[in-house]
Amino acid sequence: MSGLESDNAAENPGDVIDPALIREAKRGTRVDVAQTGFNPALGRCPAIETQTVSLNTVLDFVPSWTARRIPVKCIGLTLPEGMEFLPPKVDTTKSSDGFELKRIGPPKKVVEETGDGEKPRKVTRIKPPSDALSLQDRLFYLLQPPLESWLAEQELIMPFEPFGYQYEGIAWLFSSHSALLADEMGLGKTMQTITAIRLLLRSGQARRIVLICPKPLIPNWQREFKMWAEELPVVTVEGNGPRRRMLWTMPGIPILIANYESMARDIAEIPEDEQPKFDLLVLDEAQRIKNRDSRTAEAARSIKRRRSWALTGTPIENRPEELAALFEFMEVIPKAANPDLRQLSKLAKQYILRRTKDLVMKDMPPRIDRDAELELTDAQELAYRTAEKEGIIQLNDMGDTITVQHVFELVLRLKQITNFDPLTGESAKLERLMADMEEIGASGGKAILFSQWTKTIDWLAPKLKEFNPLIYHGGVPTKKREPILAKFKEDPNAHILLMSYGTGAVGLNLQFAGYVFLFDRWWNPAIEDQAINRAHRIGVKNPVIVTRFISKNTIEERIDRVLSEKRALFAAILGDGNNNNDVSLGMNATEIFGLFDLKARHKNGSKSIGPKPVEQATDAA
Amino acid sequence: MSGAGKTEHLRLGFMETMEVDGRGHIGGLLITNQNGRPLEFQCTTPVKPNRTQEILFGESLRAWLLGELIGSTLLDRVSIKPNIIITSDPNLLELRNHTSIPVACAADAKTRVAEQGGTLRLGGSILRFHGSHELDAQTLSKQKHLIPDSADLAEPLERVREALAETVKTVFAR
Repeated sequence: MSGLESDNAAENPGDVIDPALIREAKRGTRVDVAQTGFNPALGRCPAIETQTVSLNTVLDFVPSWTARRIPVKCIGLTLPEGMEFLPPKVDTTKSSDGFELKRIGPPKKVVEETGDGEKPRKVTRIKPPSDALSLQDRLFYLLQPPLESWLAEQELIMPFEPFGYQYEGIAWLFSSHSALLADEMGLGKTMQTITAIRLLLRSGQARRIVLICPKPLIPNWQREFKMWAEELPVVTVEGNGPRRRMLWTMPGIPILIANYESMARDIAEIPEDEQPKFDLLVLDEAQRIKNRDSRTAEAARSIKRRRSWALTGTPIENRPEELAALFEFMEVIPKAANPDLRQLSKLAKQYILRRTKDLVMKDMPPRIDRDAELELTDAQELAYRTAEKEGIIQLNDMGDTITVQHVFELVLRLKQITNFDPLTGESAKLERLMADMEEIGASGGKAILFSQWTKTIDWLAPKLKEFNPLIYHGGVPTKKREPILAKFKEDPNAHILLMSYGTGAVGLNLQFAGYVFLFDRWWNPAIEDQAINRAHRIGVKNPVIVTRFISKNTIEERIDRVLSEKRALFAAILGDGNNNNDVSLGMNATEIFGLFDLKARHKNGSKSIGPKPVEQATDAA
Repeated sequence: MSGAGKTEHLRLGFMETMEVDGRGHIGGLLITNQNGRPLEFQCTTPVKPNRTQEILFGESLRAWLLGELIGSTLLDRVSIKPNIIITSDPNLLELRNHTSIPVACAADAKTRVAEQGGTLRLGGSILRFHGSHELDAQTLSKQKHLIPDSADLAEPLERVREALAETVKTVFAR
């Protein structure tokens, strides 16, 4: 064993010492180890060798990252440019109707209710219609500003700022391709429609619009357009045939107004390749097309259009099928389809907007109805009983040849006697009317009286001379009608306006009259309500007192009972918004026969009968 | 507004972003006239940064993603260039570093945001501009009269958010 090995063993105490060396040391044998340990070894020069190594200049892996732009895709929508109109020249603060005009300012900031009493202003957003499927269509509506600020932008001149429900109606119409606005009369269907039309034109959604209404209402629409959208050019289809045809087909007219008769006649005469195309067709008093097979209804459906709106306060006057006729016009049901009540109800929820005064006009002065049940005078009583007795005998004698028309004629004769005795001129209703009018006249009030017959109106006029009566019925030429209404409004001595249901029931604004008399009863409460709502509508400042004359123990009482019993039958179709004021039914043949305990002998016992449509009937009577 | 005259127009841009579950962020830009009437709308498809981008951008990720990436893309795509871009998200102020158009973050004027340099009261809002571009407030103040004091500049942002939600619901949720 070498000394180096021994040193190594001492240097590495963990190493095992050879046992043979230990035994030899114990026997006294001298071990040859370096005396000074390993220090001399440290003093030895190490053996150093050098060699040249080339540097590796290429690294095997270098992590790298560059900030590259992530490609981003876009979806775009360019909104159409709306039509620009010259602003109207406004140099007065009063409209032609004498309304105090108010410039609507921009909307106030919408804020949460705060402690300082500032309340958040409600904003009305336009929602995409449920039948708008494409993203672009839906975004178009979602991106429109709230109506309140949109309308303020146009600086509309308005007789009053729209109510919240009217903003909702405007937004609903604006976004609807098929719409039936069925607000109760007097809630401002006209204003909502005009404003929605205005927004469609302004937003480029429509460029050519036609509005169809009953002929007597054309001046009313012209006036309302001037009031609510003065800058919009409105052209009325009138004149001879060639002129009307030119107006129908001339492009570039934003708003065309025509009456139903003109539409039915003119559209049929225009060749197919020249038929005008409209962005919107509006039918006012749309119950005019309730008979879907009528020439008027067919003409309305034949007009080429992108949007179809119907306006009526009485979507159902008699039968649910009338609603189906409107839905067919609106193109929400197939041609000649007959949806059942459940389907109608479902469609109504989607396509009908209906509000009643009870729901939306809680602050509106009330309408006070009072039934004046009157005893006939002796002369009337005698005339009535005689006519009834003779009439029933005659009807019974007719046997199987009796028709509903025969019964109907008897009803009319009896109703006329309840108005006044043709022989003596005695009238319980006139006595009551005179008593009421003396009070109304003395207080400077104004009243509107409705009757079914022009004959009754003409008979009443001289008897009411002290109240300066004005007459407004179908016998009055159209051009003279507006001055009559103006006189009634402005002449403080004109206390009563005598109107026929047919001419005066729709579309007129007479909210300055505080009293309404229904001298005789119409066949359908819906028409009566329309008449009453000439006075009881937006803008009315005082309660409207409605007096319905009913002669006791006469045909009037029986008719009233039958109609009342049937009122609620179709309410379910139109939902909860109804207060039974205007969903009503006319009388069918069986019910007419039933008035005299006669049985219908016509094969089609359920055939609906009644007077001619209200717009033609009474004035001819 | 009628008082604005025919030659003086102000185009407002309203930009918002939204996170789509698991798919990243989308952004929308609505261009309106000074009355808030919509003229053009663009929105992006969802953009999602990868893990490397998340690590390397760190805290600046949102500003890069929303302001530079989504914001710049939207601004490039609109054919009607706005005079100002308004947003409710401070991250989008980053966009100002990549465009010459002023970008501002809107706060309700009723809130306690002090009006100071780099802010401008416009309509019912106080606009706060990018810290490096505080002169934008002065530039914009020359056209301040085109916006009525009662104008609600936060309202169009709500429309953008609704439009984005509709887009997500209609397109991307399929």
